[in-house]
Amino acid sequence: MNCVNIEILKLNDKELINLSKKNTLSLNLKEMKAVKSYFKKLKRDPTDVEIETIAQTWSEHCKHKTLTGVINYSGADSKGKKVNITYKNLLKETIFKATAELNKKWCLSVFKDNAGVIEFDKLNGIAFKVETHNHPSALEPYGGAATGVGGVIRDILGVGLGAKPLANTDVFCFGNPDTPAKKVPDGMHHPKRIAKGVVAGVRDYGNRMGIPTVNGGVHFDDGYMANPLIYCGTMGIMPKSAIEKKVKSGDFVVVAGGRTGRDGIHGATFSSAELDKESDVSAVQIGNPIVEKKVLDTMLKARDLKLYRAVTDCGAGGLSSACGELGESTGVRIELEKVPLKYQGLAPWEIWISEAQERMVFAVPPKNVKKLLNLFDCENVEATVIGRFTNDKKLTLAYNGKTVGQLDMDFLHKGVPKTAAFARYAPLKETLRKPVKFNGTRIRESLKKVLADSAVCSKEQIIRQYDHEVQGQTIVKPLQGCAINIWGPGDAAVIWPYAVIKNTKKGIVLSNGINHQYGKADTYKMTASAIEEALRNAVAVGANPDRISVLDNFCWGNPEKPEVLGSLVRAAQACYDMSKKFGVPFISGKDSLYNEYTIRGKTFSIPPALLISAMGVIDNVENTMTMNFKRAGNLIMLLGITRNELGQSVFNRINKISGGIAPNVYPEESLKIMRGIYKAANAGLIEACHDISEGGLAAAVSEMAFAGSLGAIVKLGAVLTKENMTDAEILFSESNGRFIIEVKPDNAKKIKDIFKGSAISIAGVVTGDCKVEFGSDKVYISEKTGVLRSAWQNALNLF
Amino acid sequence: MEYEIEILPKKGFTDLHGARVLSDIMQAGIKDVKKTGYSPVYAIDGITKAEADLIGWEILSDKITETFFITESSTTAKDRGCKELSSGGEKVHAIEVWFKKGVTDTVSESVVKAIKDLGITKEVKVKTGHIYYIYGAVGKQVLEKIATTVLANTLIQDYKINELR
Repeated sequence: MNCVNIEILKLNDKELINLSKKNTLSLNLKEMKAVKSYFKKLKRDPTDVEIETIAQTWSEHCKHKTLTGVINYSGADSKGKKVNITYKNLLKETIFKATAELNKKWCLSVFKDNAGVIEFDKLNGIAFKVETHNHPSALEPYGGAATGVGGVIRDILGVGLGAKPLANTDVFCFGNPDTPAKKVPDGMHHPKRIAKGVVAGVRDYGNRMGIPTVNGGVHFDDGYMANPLIYCGTMGIMPKSAIEKKVKSGDFVVVAGGRTGRDGIHGATFSSAELDKESDVSAVQIGNPIVEKKVLDTMLKARDLKLYRAVTDCGAGGLSSACGELGESTGVRIELEKVPLKYQGLAPWEIWISEAQERMVFAVPPKNVKKLLNLFDCENVEATVIGRFTNDKKLTLAYNGKTVGQLDMDFLHKGVPKTAAFARYAPLKETLRKPVKFNGTRIRESLKKVLADSAVCSKEQIIRQYDHEVQGQTIVKPLQGCAINIWGPGDAAVIWPYAVIKNTKKGIVLSNGINHQYGKADTYKMTASAIEEALRNAVAVGANPDRISVLDNFCWGNPEKPEVLGSLVRAAQACYDMSKKFGVPFISGKDSLYNEYTIRGKTFSIPPALLISAMGVIDNVENTMTMNFKRAGNLIMLLGITRNELGQSVFNRINKISGGIAPNVYPEESLKIMRGIYKAANAGLIEACHDISEGGLAAAVSEMAFAGSLGAIVKLGAVLTKENMTDAEILFSESNGRFIIEVKPDNAKKIKDIFKGSAISIAGVVTGDCKVEFGSDKVYISEKTGVLRSAWQNALNLF
Repeated sequence: MEYEIEILPKKGFTDLHGARVLSDIMQAGIKDVKKTGYSPVYAIDGITKAEADLIGWEILSDKITETFFITESSTTAKDRGCKELSSGGEKVHAIEVWFKKGVTDTVSESVVKAIKDLGITKEVKVKTGHIYYIYGAVGKQVLEKIATTVLANTLIQDYKINELR
């Protein structure tokens, strides 16, 4: 098996594009011409290995060409005013810019490595990364999701010199699980089958790795029927001394872990292509967590023995991306025949770009090679020297002594032509609709339906499949409650890493925010709300709002369509604005574009979705909070202003009410309240805390009551509103910036002092009679918590 | 010689996976099936019958809750383990699902290693598969639908439908 030359120099434009399509290179004409021009200077055609290497390195997945390219945007700015802006590099001018301007000293490594790292304490950093694995999971839900988890764990192993994974997170968007089978497009899996496979994949990989899955969310929309969104995240801890890596010329290249097969060939370029019925079998990857667990344990030993100088994971693009990245500043020579194979018969280019799982690549100083190989061997992990870093700034690939490819690192990493695209966007014109005047009975029925809606209902049947306790450090768990009745939906998870950092009192909080529904009105609002929701969730368990960092994960449709790209630009604008106003830096991120699929010539695009994942530090884990009511007689206090914001709400959807205003974000109001909560929590003044999001005040109070096996009385007249609102609007508005806290009557004054200048009211009292009651001068609603809990717990029918 | 070792629940023990498959079939809108059963199956090439017995007993089955059934791969597919379990004269089909060639089979990698650990050091090849028993009078079209929408992902797996009785 050897390489072949690919004729390119003689090809015209049409033939160049045909070549790109035929070989699944996903390169456009401009890029193909750049490749042709490079080889023209070399006076030769490229080999298959070379052209595949370029395609992998220049893929949307690896280079983020759209977000770093030139974009001419015409549409609304952050204040809704119509503007024309040219972005030379959207990421640099929005998300990166905010982080640079905030210049937080506790941000230790941002946007340059496999994950973002912030300071945990004087000696240690914590790393967080979230990835998507949408296309593979649409084709093979179990394998796709499992390798999504495996891949993001390797990102944490590959940040700096490697971090120890402490927790996983997962967020999914699926099609409606109750879709009739005949409505599912030909050749696609039913959403329920996808959901089951994905959950099983995440469960099996995470559980077998011994990493707890502690935080996540599940969302449903018909728009995700054939293109689900699978976000997998991992957080890890590392000594600060292990954050930097530097390859030196002369270091050996060692690959350790799984063997290489045909798995996932063209995974990186495939993620830049639309899904169709004929998608390629070889794009499917299958994971083996037992191998990865052995790699994890051994490489952390090697890290502490300082046996290697740099490490990265084999992700999209396989060895091609991993070796290419590590050798970017030096040059590297790889002998492909030395790569251990699962079976014979792979062509050199297949060995080079295979995305076989569970592989890490190390840069090892010559004096340590023997020690490192011995260490891996002792732990039953296969590790092999496959090449050496050079000083010629070239990527050289050899197979059985013959050079099969040689590319300049500069061309490979910087030669990709900038894309230029047009973007336009006009948010939905929102108008306040007629007041919603529901009587008590209709409000009660709406409450049960809201609690049973897939956006709000219990996801316990999924959460219980994950081990969220392994490692014994999860102190605020995904399900909360009292005694043996643990079913309440926690806002965020807290990890207390006492087994790694002796005598520490500090904790790490992980939370997320996502609501694709608001994007149907305006992706600016959707983004701002997601950022605020992630922060609210973190603060609700005790995070310090001034020590939270966030990650962005964009899942969008085809950016070649100006409206789709426009909605993305608008979201990026919101990222900048909110990051600055909340003082919360972005530390890492990822985009998954081209989430479209074609069936019988008709193209379907997903509703845009932005997942914001937050990681924060808590100074004292003793001061964390949970959401279940604790004791009858305590006061229910409401923080934040309720506005008439029911546009795109769960309440509107279930009652088929159109129009309305989707929630806005008011950072100054919210941040003040969040700081107050942190102060009050540390003074021991808050018994329970829950943020208000989908389903509004009514859903949040009900959840706190049935999670605590208690009841509540809430006076709607005491709720602070911005305008005149009906009882139903007050109960189900999804305004941002609001929390419910439970406070002992004796502490009410101290709480009021802390929140002086913010919107705060005593809205009710916790009761012992297991009923949730809402009342005003017009309506009175009462329902048993058991009935509400039953509606909430029994709605999702996935398994 | 290649042997197929099929793992079955012992009489009196619930076939949980089989019951779950029935629930999946019902949820897919197929109402004709009344009962289902499930067996994992391992095709092992390069062993003797005695070694197959040892592997079935020591590695692949749980001694308390499961039993195993060995066939030569070359024998007719009608000779499956469910015969030991089923009673009465109802119709039974077996839908077998196997990975396509080239797809990574991580369970088989573990089985190969376990066989070596058991002291059988010669070269063996292992493939893993699944057998689903569908009881009752179910038409060919419905069986095809069950195979493609519930049991096998045809992108990475092949399936075959055999009428056992």
